[in-house]
Amino acid sequence: MLPLLCICREIRKIAVHTHRKSGLPALYQLASTFSGAPAGLADADTIFALSSGHGKCGVAVVRISGPASSMALRCMAGLRRHLPSPRTALLRSITDPSSKEILDRGLVLWFPGPHSFTGEDSVEFHIHGGPAVITAVLQALGSMPGMRPAEAGEFTRRAFQAGKLGLTEVEGLGDLIHAETEAQRRQALRQMSGDLQRLYQDWSHRLKRCLAHVEAFIDFSEDELIEDGVLERVDSSVVSLQAEIERHLKDERRGERLRSGVHVVIAGATNAGKSSLLNTLCQRPAAIVSSIAGTTRDVVETVLDIGGFPVLLSDTAGLRDSTDLIEQEGVRRARERVQQADLTLVVVDSVLLPCEVQKAADILQENLTSVLPDLKQTNKDRCLLVLNKTDLLPEAHRRELERELNEVSGLPPVCLLSCQTHEGLQDFLSVFHSRLKILCGDPLSGAPTLTQARHRAHLQQCVVALAQYQKLRDTDLALAADGVRLALTSLGRITGKLGAEEILDIIFKDFCIGK
Amino acid sequence: SNWLRQRLCFRSHAHWNAAQRYDVIVVGGGHAGTEAAAAAARMGAETLLVTQKIQTIGALSCNPSLGGVGKGHLVREVDALDGLCGRAGDWAGIHFSILNRRKGPAVWGPRAQLDRQRYREFIQGELLSIKRLTVLEGSVEDLLVTEPNPDEPGSHRVTGICLGMLASSVVLTTGTFLSGSLFVGQTTSPGGRIGDAPSSAGLSRTLKETLGLRVGRLRTGTPPRIVKESVDFSLANVHLPDRHPTPFSFMNTHTRCKPEEQLPCHLTYTTPGVERVVQESLHLNCHIQQDTKGPRYCPSIESRVLRFPGRRHLVWLEPEGLTSDLLYPQGLSMTMPPEVQLRLIREIPALRRAEIHAPGYGVQYDFVCPTQLSSALQVKSTQGLFLAGQINGTTGYEEAAAQGLWAGVNAARQAHSMPPVSLSRTESYIGVLIDDLVSRGVTEPYRMFTSRAEFRTTLRPDNADLRLTPKGYELGCVSSSRYQEATRVQNSLQEAMTALQALTLSTNSCREKLPDIRVSETKSTVLTGMELLQYKELSFEMLASVFPERLSPYLEFSQRLKIEAVYKPHCDINKKEIERIQREENMFLPPDIDYFSLPVSLSNEAREILDRVRPTTLGAATRLEGITPAAVVNLYNYVHFAKKKGTASKKKKKTF
Repeated sequence: MLPLLCICREIRKIAVHTHRKSGLPALYQLASTFSGAPAGLADADTIFALSSGHGKCGVAVVRISGPASSMALRCMAGLRRHLPSPRTALLRSITDPSSKEILDRGLVLWFPGPHSFTGEDSVEFHIHGGPAVITAVLQALGSMPGMRPAEAGEFTRRAFQAGKLGLTEVEGLGDLIHAETEAQRRQALRQMSGDLQRLYQDWSHRLKRCLAHVEAFIDFSEDELIEDGVLERVDSSVVSLQAEIERHLKDERRGERLRSGVHVVIAGATNAGKSSLLNTLCQRPAAIVSSIAGTTRDVVETVLDIGGFPVLLSDTAGLRDSTDLIEQEGVRRARERVQQADLTLVVVDSVLLPCEVQKAADILQENLTSVLPDLKQTNKDRCLLVLNKTDLLPEAHRRELERELNEVSGLPPVCLLSCQTHEGLQDFLSVFHSRLKILCGDPLSGAPTLTQARHRAHLQQCVVALAQYQKLRDTDLALAADGVRLALTSLGRITGKLGAEEILDIIFKDFCIGK
Repeated sequence: SNWLRQRLCFRSHAHWNAAQRYDVIVVGGGHAGTEAAAAAARMGAETLLVTQKIQTIGALSCNPSLGGVGKGHLVREVDALDGLCGRAGDWAGIHFSILNRRKGPAVWGPRAQLDRQRYREFIQGELLSIKRLTVLEGSVEDLLVTEPNPDEPGSHRVTGICLGMLASSVVLTTGTFLSGSLFVGQTTSPGGRIGDAPSSAGLSRTLKETLGLRVGRLRTGTPPRIVKESVDFSLANVHLPDRHPTPFSFMNTHTRCKPEEQLPCHLTYTTPGVERVVQESLHLNCHIQQDTKGPRYCPSIESRVLRFPGRRHLVWLEPEGLTSDLLYPQGLSMTMPPEVQLRLIREIPALRRAEIHAPGYGVQYDFVCPTQLSSALQVKSTQGLFLAGQINGTTGYEEAAAQGLWAGVNAARQAHSMPPVSLSRTESYIGVLIDDLVSRGVTEPYRMFTSRAEFRTTLRPDNADLRLTPKGYELGCVSSSRYQEATRVQNSLQEAMTALQALTLSTNSCREKLPDIRVSETKSTVLTGMELLQYKELSFEMLASVFPERLSPYLEFSQRLKIEAVYKPHCDINKKEIERIQREENMFLPPDIDYFSLPVSLSNEAREILDRVRPTTLGAATRLEGITPAAVVNLYNYVHFAKKKGTASKKKKKTF
């Protein structure tokens, strides 16, 4: 049985999420205004929407789903006699059905139900990405009877209702639609194709079996022939499941990070060039820079794509003791950001470093400690040292530092660069990129990673519940079985599929109950 | 049963002259019918019970036993609502044992072997003593059906039975008698039980044709009865009863049978020879060749052998009564020709010289698809008709008794123009049973298991009185003496738990005063009495010996207090989930809702399922097979929205 209110909440969340992230393209809003039918009335409606990005792209995809799809295709692609063969691209002129004006020339595809994404008859128009063309096509579609613009996530919802997608897949799909970077898209694709679903489904199957066997032992073992060792087999299954789920949970939020962006914070002493680094990285003057110490007083945020990884980059106030109340607050905020960061870029003015390497290393260590007081050997990979203003260093000194500092043990990787001349920037970016890769994991290799905080919460519940089984197994089997039930419910909340009768089916398949 | 005959004669005189009017008429005198009639009468309804043979009222048609895991839970709940079967079991039991003793009190299964004669005596005696209840012998040829009351849903109205009896409510509990046929070997004959005719064809026709109810067909069977003295018990394992019999009823402190008078059971096994005889006689076995669904968990020896070949199966040899000469071989239900049955049982060493007193046989019968019922067990499309027991696709005495009681309560309420009541699956196994039946339907005979109850740790056999007796008293089906006893118990338990909560012991003095329990070091230094009782090794008696002045008044409840303490943390966790489900169960779906035109986004499949089953609450809808979470969300929105606006129609779906 599924917890209804819980599902409601989740689905609402997905919808809200999609809605917010899409930022409702202007064209979409335009399209909504010229349809008479209230949104979401019945499945009989045929819906359409611009399915590709915001129109900057070369090709835009308009998708149509519902019973009137074929009519739209016939009218607009001049296919009066017969429909094209299913799932085959065809180059056609696309015309306005009432004015007969040619709007564009593009590819049309026909996906008869139920073998389509939504399970309904569907059509796709691949047209040129200009806003004028898109607006014209959407307006033409909206002028036809029985057609209305889709609500956010409605295609997905229809697919979900037609049983084409499980809950995990829907979530993966929502991400795919809004994947802002290449790596996000890869992960979303991977989730949608069901890797994660398969993993959870496998766990769910094994748990179901465990539960069935415990239940059989409770309900039948007293006067039936339930063979010996049933519970022992359940014990070992539970132990290995628990271990596997725990391992999965220990991915250190890599999947989530990839989905929501890696939090990177630039921190360091005043006037080290932190804001210049931010501006250099985002290739625009996002933050005010000046030679006056304490220019940046609040946190400046920007979103970047570094080699396919989403990065939420924050520039913070320089750390120093100040009597200025506003600056004090800025410093407090900076420290707070550093605490929450996945990765901290500690920026140091290289001009301030002495020539002798060991002394320089000591100064760097001081800088590190002042930014990250609780930095330990174990979390060294959570920060990078950036030595800025190398253009002001004598060439020999720069080379010396570069050569020697990365040899000093106990220091995180050191990058020398000049935000002024961009010297050393490429090297820094490649170090930065490899760090991000570690933090996010490579979405195409290894076990699928967790992408949703929701999944994490349910899996954690699952692990706790399995521990309950182990703890109570010898004292009270009814309470122990409750642990397995709870574990299964938690997993069911991710995969969205759970049936109580299934347990009895397994019992009767595995045991000859002859009471 | 002389008294019954007298009453019968009296009624026979009267009813030909003028139509008799009752509040409730119950058709059938089995486990469902007797509980239904007794419950309706307790509720204050003038009640008539009509049965084919008065002497078979309270007969145990199949196994001579009551209770077990899951079924025992039902017996305790029926008893908590003042039903008959728990007390009848205490009166007739000759071998008491609590199953699952080592698996935790939530799944303890109180069970007893019964003396058939005593069971019948008790039930018949009880019915006699109930006020407002009349028993009549006769065959109900048909129902009286008239135009419906326009103010209520339903396209027909049942007003009585074709013996000239009128009633506001009719409860049908015809068991296996509806179009029943019996199978032995290659012969088939009409009947609901050996020696008894099926119910009339007119009744079947009315249900199917006039009232348009969907029916299905199920089968079951019973083993041959064996002559006790022909059995060699030295070749079987003896199974002794509990040394101290535990009564089923909350009102009994001991059973009628003295501990030392109890009879043992014996356990033996099938052999390869048994399998061979089954295989060789398949062509002589009509029943097994039919594809009607039989119970998976109570299969005939034939289907066990066919489904799990090469295994040995258990055969329990159960006594049929204190003075009975017969044995009941549990696990050997069979339908082959009698001479083959004899050959088969003689393949078992302990039965190698056994004689058969009566051969086993199979029964096939019609059942009414229970999704056509409301959670009050009333037929949704017909006014005044209630169904209970095997007619709803269940199997087992306890399942029948539970439904009978609840149908009786609702039939009486309807007669008194009161709204129907239902039991939630969060508060009782009866609720689980009825909810499963009416919202999921059956594909095979339905039997109760503890695995069907989501809140198993809360729905325990020990606390059925706390869960149900107050509610039953409020409804009127529980006597005041039982209610007073339940109240006394509840108050004492409450006081005792308060005392336990207030009582504290430091870990150091724990080690000193209770050396047997191993208090873990990491625990906080002071433990309450409730926390201490959660230790496996500590009993309430042991704790009471340390705090005699505070705890000895509650020694009567030692076991219950121990159980309460162990389960309390888990029940507290369950509570939130229970409240959530109860909220969903309180979101009613209008009975006249047109799912095909409902302006919400639902797949056609979902619309068809909802239209067919017509769940009464959103909670029931969530448990339907084929209803996706998305469909539930949409329905939820609809109900939510309709509730807010007050009208259900013409509303735009609230988007999410």
